[in-house]
Amino acid sequence: MDGCIGRCLRVNLTKGKHSIEEIDPRLLKKFLGGRGLGVKVFTDEVDPRTDPLSPDNKLIFSSGPLVGTGAITGASCNVITRSSLTGTLACAKIRGHFGAELKFAGFDMVIIEGKAETPVILSIIDDKVRILPALEYWGRSTAETEDLFKKNLGDQWIARETFLISIGPAGERLLPLANVVNDRFLSAGGAGTGAVMGSKNLKAVAVKGRHSLYVADGSRFVKVVNTLINKLNSAPFVSQSMSQWGTAFLVGLSYQKGMLPQNNFRWAALSLKNIGTEALNSAFILKSRGCFACPVACIKKSVVKHPMYRGKGMVPSYLAIGALGVNCGISDLPAIGMASMLCAEMGLDPVATGGALATAMELVEKKVLSPEELKIDLGFGNAETLIQALRLIATKKGYAKRLGQGGKALAESSGRPDLFMGVKGLSLAPFDPRAIQGMGLHFATSNYGPHYLYAYTYIDELLNVHENSDPWEIEGKPALVKLHQDTTAVMDSLGLCSKLLKGLKLNNYVPLVNSCLGTSYKAEDLLLIGERIWNLERLFNLSAGFNSSHDTLPDRFTKEPISDGPAEGQISRISEMIPEYYHLRGWNEKGEPPPETLKALELEDE
Amino acid sequence: MPRIKIDHTKCTGCRHCETACSLNHVANTVNPRRARIRVMKEGDQYFPVIAGPFVDAACTSKQTIVIGDQTYDMCALCRASCPQKPYFIEAETGIPLKCDFCGIPPNPSCVRWCNTGALELVED
Repeated sequence: MDGCIGRCLRVNLTKGKHSIEEIDPRLLKKFLGGRGLGVKVFTDEVDPRTDPLSPDNKLIFSSGPLVGTGAITGASCNVITRSSLTGTLACAKIRGHFGAELKFAGFDMVIIEGKAETPVILSIIDDKVRILPALEYWGRSTAETEDLFKKNLGDQWIARETFLISIGPAGERLLPLANVVNDRFLSAGGAGTGAVMGSKNLKAVAVKGRHSLYVADGSRFVKVVNTLINKLNSAPFVSQSMSQWGTAFLVGLSYQKGMLPQNNFRWAALSLKNIGTEALNSAFILKSRGCFACPVACIKKSVVKHPMYRGKGMVPSYLAIGALGVNCGISDLPAIGMASMLCAEMGLDPVATGGALATAMELVEKKVLSPEELKIDLGFGNAETLIQALRLIATKKGYAKRLGQGGKALAESSGRPDLFMGVKGLSLAPFDPRAIQGMGLHFATSNYGPHYLYAYTYIDELLNVHENSDPWEIEGKPALVKLHQDTTAVMDSLGLCSKLLKGLKLNNYVPLVNSCLGTSYKAEDLLLIGERIWNLERLFNLSAGFNSSHDTLPDRFTKEPISDGPAEGQISRISEMIPEYYHLRGWNEKGEPPPETLKALELEDE
Repeated sequence: MPRIKIDHTKCTGCRHCETACSLNHVANTVNPRRARIRVMKEGDQYFPVIAGPFVDAACTSKQTIVIGDQTYDMCALCRASCPQKPYFIEAETGIPLKCDFCGIPPNPSCVRWCNTGALELVED
C-alpha cells in the first residue's frame, strides 16, 4: 500500500538489541495500519493475562498510512499496550508532529519489548537506532527532558527536527494514572501507558528522519485535499468554534444541555460565567498550535497574566475544564490551565487524575477520609490544594501515594466503591451519561474505558452535525454508538484526527484514502475494517478477564436522577440499550462475538 | 509582480506548506526535507521561511533579529541555502533548492494549503 513505509522496528530493551522487520502487506489491507495494525500485532504477540508492568508486556507505537503524507490532520500515532490502570487494552493517541516524524524516520511501527536495567532513551535519528543511557533525565518533567535531550544533541539543526515522546515523574514511579506526553506538552490520553513505559525503564523515544513517503496518485490527492480544506472552511463548528477556542467551545453547549458534571457527577454545572468562551477570551491571549498538516489547529497556548499562575500556560481544553475543573468544583480558568499543564509536565492523564481527585474530594466531604489523614485540605472548589495534590501524586509523596493508584483503588480501600465514577477502572470523561444516553452506552461498552476519544457520539447528540439525535432519547442510540465506534477505529487506523468529524463525514475521506493509498475502498469497506478492529479488541479484553458484567455504569447514573439543570430528572437507561447494542454487533447475550460473527469479519483465526 | 506575504503571527506550525511544496515538485513524493519552504520554530513562535538564492561563502553579517520584544537567531530565519545550514538542499543530489513560485495561477501550492492566512499571495 502506498503511504505506508512497510517497515517496523522491534527493540528488545532486555538484550539492548533491535531489528527491522517487513510488515505483511495482507495485514495492512486487513487492518489499514495505526491502531488496527498495532492492536493486531499486540494481540498476536502478548498473552491477555500478562501483568501490564512485567517485561512480557509490549509497547507499540504505530503511525497510520496517511500520517505525514499531507492528508489533512494526518498526524496521529497510536500507543498500544495493556493498561496498568484498567487491565484492558490501552490506546493513547499522540497528536503533534511525532507520528509524522516516525514515518519520515522510516518506520510505520515501533515495538518495544523487555525491560532495560537502567533508564534509557530510544533514539531513532537519521537511520541510527541507539539505546542511550538516561540517568540524567530520570526524575525530570516531560518538557525538561525534551529540552535537555535537544541540548545534548549538540547540533541545533538536528535538534530542531527531532521530536520526542516521554514520560514524566508519574510514569517513572509506575503510577496507573500516568500517560505519555509528546512535543513538550501534548498529553496523549490513554491512562496507564506511562506506567508501562516506566516499567520498561524507557524515559523517552526521539525520532528524526529524512525518508520520503509516496502517495499513489499525487495530482488527484492534491485536488482532494483542496476540496476537503474548502469543505472544512464551510463547516461552522470546525472553522469557527474549534479554530477559535479549541475544544473548549463545547463547555457552553454541554452546559446548556445539562451534560457538564459538577462535584464528582453529583449535579449538572451550575453556572457558565467563569468557564465559558467569554471567560476564556478574557483570561488568555489564545495562540493556535497545529498538529502536523492540520488546517484547523485546535490546540491553544497562551501567556498567562494571572498573578498566581504566571508564565507560559496552556489553555485548558474541554477535557481539562470538565475533569480537572468543574467536576472538582473549580471554575477558575487560569488555575485549570495550570493544573492541565502540570498534568502534562508530570505525565499524568488529566481525565483519570481529575476523576481520582474528585473521588477523593467526595470521600472527604462524606467524612470517609479525613483531611488530616490525607495531609492535604482536599475539597471541592479548592484550586490551590488541587494543584498541590497534582505535584504530590506525581512524586508519590506522603499520602498522595494512595491517590496515585486511581479513583477506583482509593474508593475501594476506603470502603465506598460506589463513590468512584468510572468504568473498568478509568474515570468517566466529563459528560454526564444521564443527559447524553448514547455517550453513556459508549462509556459502558468501550474497549478502552469511558473516554469519548474512542467514539465521538456528541457530534450527533450534542452538536447535531450529521444527524439530529436527541441526547435524552435512547431510540437509535445503539446503532449510533456502533457507527461512531467503528468510524473512530477507522480514523485512528488511517492516522487521521477524529475531531474533524465535526465537519466532515467518513464518506468525505474516502477519495483522500484511495488517492493516497492506491486502493479502491468504499465507506462500507472501511466501516467493516473498523468493526473488525473493535471486535479484535473486544476478544482481547474478554480473554483478559472482562465480560458483560463490566459493560455497565456506576449506580449513581442508573438510580439517582439528575437533581437540577436542563436535564433534571434524567437517568441513564443503559440496561435497555445494551441488548440491542449486542444484537447489532452480532454478539450473544453475554457480549461475546460468536464464531459466525468472527467469520463474517475474517477474524476466525483469532 | 505577485509575491508571497508571510504573517508569522498567524502560523500554527502545522507544516502543511512543506508537504504541499514537496508534493508539487517531486511527483507523488512527500518529504518536508525536500521542500522549498520550511517552518522554523524560534522560541514560542513559528516562522515560515521560503528558500532564497544559494550562497556558498561563509556568512559575515550574522546578527540577531528583534521583532517586538523578542530576539531571534538570524541564521534560523535566513532564506539562503548555504553550507552552514542543512536546509534547502536536495538530499539525494546535493543541489541547492530555491522557491520557483510554482503553481501560478492561481496560487503557489504552499499558499493554497495554508489555511490560517500565514501565507498570502499579494500584488505589489
